Amino acid sequence: MYGRKACELVKEFASVGKGQLTQYNSDLFEQVVAECSQHHLELQSLIRKMQEEGLDVQTARNADHYGALIHHLSLVRNKRCLMAYVNNRAEIIRSLLWKIGSVLPKEIEEKFSHTEEEYFNKYSGELKKYMSKMELDLTVDMVPPKDPYIKVRVLDDIGDGIVLSDKTANFARHSIHFLKRTDAEQFISRGLMEELTG
Amino acid sequence: MASSSMEGSMPTMDEYEALLSTTDVELLKRAWRSEKAAPEILRYDFDLVGRVTEQLQLMEETVDEKSTSGADPLSLSLYQMDLDRTLFLLRSYLRIRIQKIEKYMFHIRKSDELWNRLSKGEKDFASRCIDDLKHHLEESVLSKLPENYQSVEKQSVISEEDDMVPEPRLDTFVLCRSKEYLSGIQLEDGPVEDRSKLFEMEPGVLYFICYKSIKPLVESGKIDLL
Repeated sequence: MYGRKACELVKEFASVGKGQLTQYNSDLFEQVVAECSQHHLELQSLIRKMQEEGLDVQTARNADHYGALIHHLSLVRNKRCLMAYVNNRAEIIRSLLWKIGSVLPKEIEEKFSHTEEEYFNKYSGELKKYMSKMELDLTVDMVPPKDPYIKVRVLDDIGDGIVLSDKTANFARHSIHFLKRTDAEQFISRGLMEELTG
Repeated sequence: MASSSMEGSMPTMDEYEALLSTTDVELLKRAWRSEKAAPEILRYDFDLVGRVTEQLQLMEETVDEKSTSGADPLSLSLYQMDLDRTLFLLRSYLRIRIQKIEKYMFHIRKSDELWNRLSKGEKDFASRCIDDLKHHLEESVLSKLPENYQSVEKQSVISEEDDMVPEPRLDTFVLCRSKEYLSGIQLEDGPVEDRSKLFEMEPGVLYFICYKSIKPLVESGKIDLL
């Protein structure tokens, strides 16, 4: 059936939870693209046939006209599915930059296609440019602050080479610190610290 | 408010609130709330952001000064908290706008009215983002499709309108409150026979209404979204 593969592609994207990414399915993607080319070939051959029969392609309403129309509509539908797939993925890719930062873990990066990787890096650059122009880092401070300081536990050996805005400390694994929220947030989002509440 | 003159120098609660509601931080909070609730991008308040940025710098200086002069740690932390909250508001305001711009960049670029609601920095950012996403879509999809189907904005060459551009849904419902008595609001939803009736809004009362109907009033600042 026409359009089934494209539908599968979109469904696959939607099958995982909101904000999550599936492996870029280049196999299925290329199959849909091939289907598009096939539709286009058949569309053209039907139009040629009508021209050979001396019919006016614009006004003739015979079986071949409707055949061609179906190929055209199937192609458009496939295009919309392909675009939706890439565009929605791009939206998630952008959100990853906000949630995780410009350095992504390998498990996530593996799910990208080559152009998606490129797109992520470019987007990261654009956002940096905007933020440096505003002289404001927008990626921190994602939740309204209750207290300027929070208690955190270090989850990984991140060493003592880190200088925070108001002090330096030895951030050995499992040590607990009382830090400025804005300083700690970048480490929390990278999974290197966790906030202790209560 | 009428009673205020009688009570002498002590400001009444109303007066105090009225005073509070005109500070820049409060104005920013309002702009932030409206921006958050509106489905489309609203006008960038250039002057307000400028003033808040200046105030933030002043607050930072105060905090620095107090922390070096060994002031009371409690008052210092209150100053710091105030600073952090304002900073959060500003960041969040800019963030929400950036996210809207990203989502509807092609749509915003097409209309001069929407485009001019962006700040200079946002315009630069949006232009670059459009180029990047266009390139990404072309590389991934469009270059592989037959010639007549390669447009980002149109489904195919025979489409008369741009039918591939995501647009914000202006018919969503929003929670809003008016500052003054408003009348003659044309409802854009509901049964056809009801649409000719004009709708009135009392000040300070909450309404749940279709965004499209009050769009001009939000843009002119008469109605705040919540």
